[in-house]
Amino acid sequence: MVVKQETKSMTGNDAASYAALFAKPDVIAAYPITPQTTIVENLSRFVDEGKLEAEFIIVESEHSALAACMGAAWSGVRTFTATSSQGLLYMAENVFWTGYGRLPIIMPVVNRCLAPGWNIWPDFQDSMAFRDAGWIQMYTKNNQEVFDTTLQAFKITESKDIALPSMPCLDGFVISHTTGQVDLPDPEDAFEFVGPYDDPVIELDVENPWAYGSMTGPDQYSKHRRDLMVAMDRAKKKIIDVHKEFEEYFGRSYGNGLIEPYGDDEADLTLVTLGTIGDEAHEAIDRLKAEGHSVNALRVRTFRPFPVEDIVEFAKKNHKLVVIDRAVSFGHEGPLRIEVEAILKRHNVDTSVSGKIMGLGGEDVPYSAIMDLVKKELKE
Amino acid sequence: MIEVIQISRGGSGGITGAKILAESAMYEGLDAQAIPKYGSERRGAAVEAYIRFSNAPIRIHSPVYEPNHAMILDISLLDRIDISKVDPNGVIVINSKKVPEELKGTGRKVAYVDATGISQELGLVLSGFTLVNMTMLGAFVKGTELISFENLEKAIRNYWGEKRAPKNVEAAKRAYEETKVVRA
Repeated sequence: MVVKQETKSMTGNDAASYAALFAKPDVIAAYPITPQTTIVENLSRFVDEGKLEAEFIIVESEHSALAACMGAAWSGVRTFTATSSQGLLYMAENVFWTGYGRLPIIMPVVNRCLAPGWNIWPDFQDSMAFRDAGWIQMYTKNNQEVFDTTLQAFKITESKDIALPSMPCLDGFVISHTTGQVDLPDPEDAFEFVGPYDDPVIELDVENPWAYGSMTGPDQYSKHRRDLMVAMDRAKKKIIDVHKEFEEYFGRSYGNGLIEPYGDDEADLTLVTLGTIGDEAHEAIDRLKAEGHSVNALRVRTFRPFPVEDIVEFAKKNHKLVVIDRAVSFGHEGPLRIEVEAILKRHNVDTSVSGKIMGLGGEDVPYSAIMDLVKKELKE
Repeated sequence: MIEVIQISRGGSGGITGAKILAESAMYEGLDAQAIPKYGSERRGAAVEAYIRFSNAPIRIHSPVYEPNHAMILDISLLDRIDISKVDPNGVIVINSKKVPEELKGTGRKVAYVDATGISQELGLVLSGFTLVNMTMLGAFVKGTELISFENLEKAIRNYWGEKRAPKNVEAAKRAYEETKVVRA
């Protein structure tokens, strides 16, 4: 049975903060950076007001923020932080340490482009720079999905058979500072879904000391990395299962949790997107269909692990994929396009793929621009 | 879908006002969105916000380019809004003692009120900035008739809490009563 929920008006950052509040992390360490700041402000207020019994560690940098979270995660407690852009870059060393060390930390990344020029607007260059860091990455399309994904992330990340940190991604300002409606459950129901973190992935024990992160020879090192590869693969099913369980509790779903198809199963052209451009694409699809065009869409919700099988199956039924990327691998293409193209080739799917890089540094991507792109691609 | 553009000066509370307007639309049973336009905006600079109301879930995340209504919290910002882009049947809600000269003879529906005067009388001044945001929301709901005053009041009370709500509600209520709606 779906639990009772109340529709509230709040920003995307508020939604991330409520998900954290309801999951009751024991330790939060964070350093403020635009546009993530209000997440940290909210959580610090929750702790101050006694709504959240967490250790809120004030640090002097993002590098230290994640370092503090790593220590907390090793001690076997639920751990949360958040960052953006330059802040994420500044903690880079520890981002990889966390991923490769399999530390169960939840860290929403409020996407903001990278300097120079100095710009606080969104693109996915920041989180895409860490796609190989061993973190689960899920991109959200609106305020509601930020709440839902952040809550799901705790359950996925803290599973003993997964033990991979999570990075729910939300477009800076476009979601983070935009007010919209979010259906919020009672805190007790949200906590019941997440569950207590009483069977930790890892837990330092002073009575039984051991070393971690010491000198590791090639044999052991490569084994660790292969374990991580396998865990990422297992995470796909976990994400689907947790998403299904979430739907039973709260009545909301986003495709199967990995990908969210929109519209008909088969169409002349398919838009492939990430983040809020995916929501805007739905608007474009409805308008294009009203004009008589055969179009549908596929929003990649989970980027790491990459939902290879799901994308391949969807692509097989379709004819032309147009991938919109909000980031660039300079010297090549947009990361989403590169990966979509590669898996189709490997699976002998002859659906054509093209793409366009849009929305860099907060460049607006209105549905009208998406419609123009589709019409141009349909002619080619 | 109804789309609104609001322009204010940084420090006068426009962004907060847009949020509260979205919440009052939610109480009206609508899906609502308030987008602040951030950049290098600072105190005193022109700040835009966009508000959408719809019967269906809003999937658009772009700024508003062709609004149904415009809300101008500082008369010196009137020239920053391209009035030709505003729906001819829409309302221009403005903080002004009279119909601005620029709008006279345009046939535009104008809702005007001396929001600065009302806010100052009520002591809604912070760090030298007169807070006209709640006052102008009273003018907006009067001029556009999209949202009931009761739902606006509910959103204002929810945001400001017991202690600070009364003055803000009073400002909105006075503007609601004193706003004049005319064809310019």
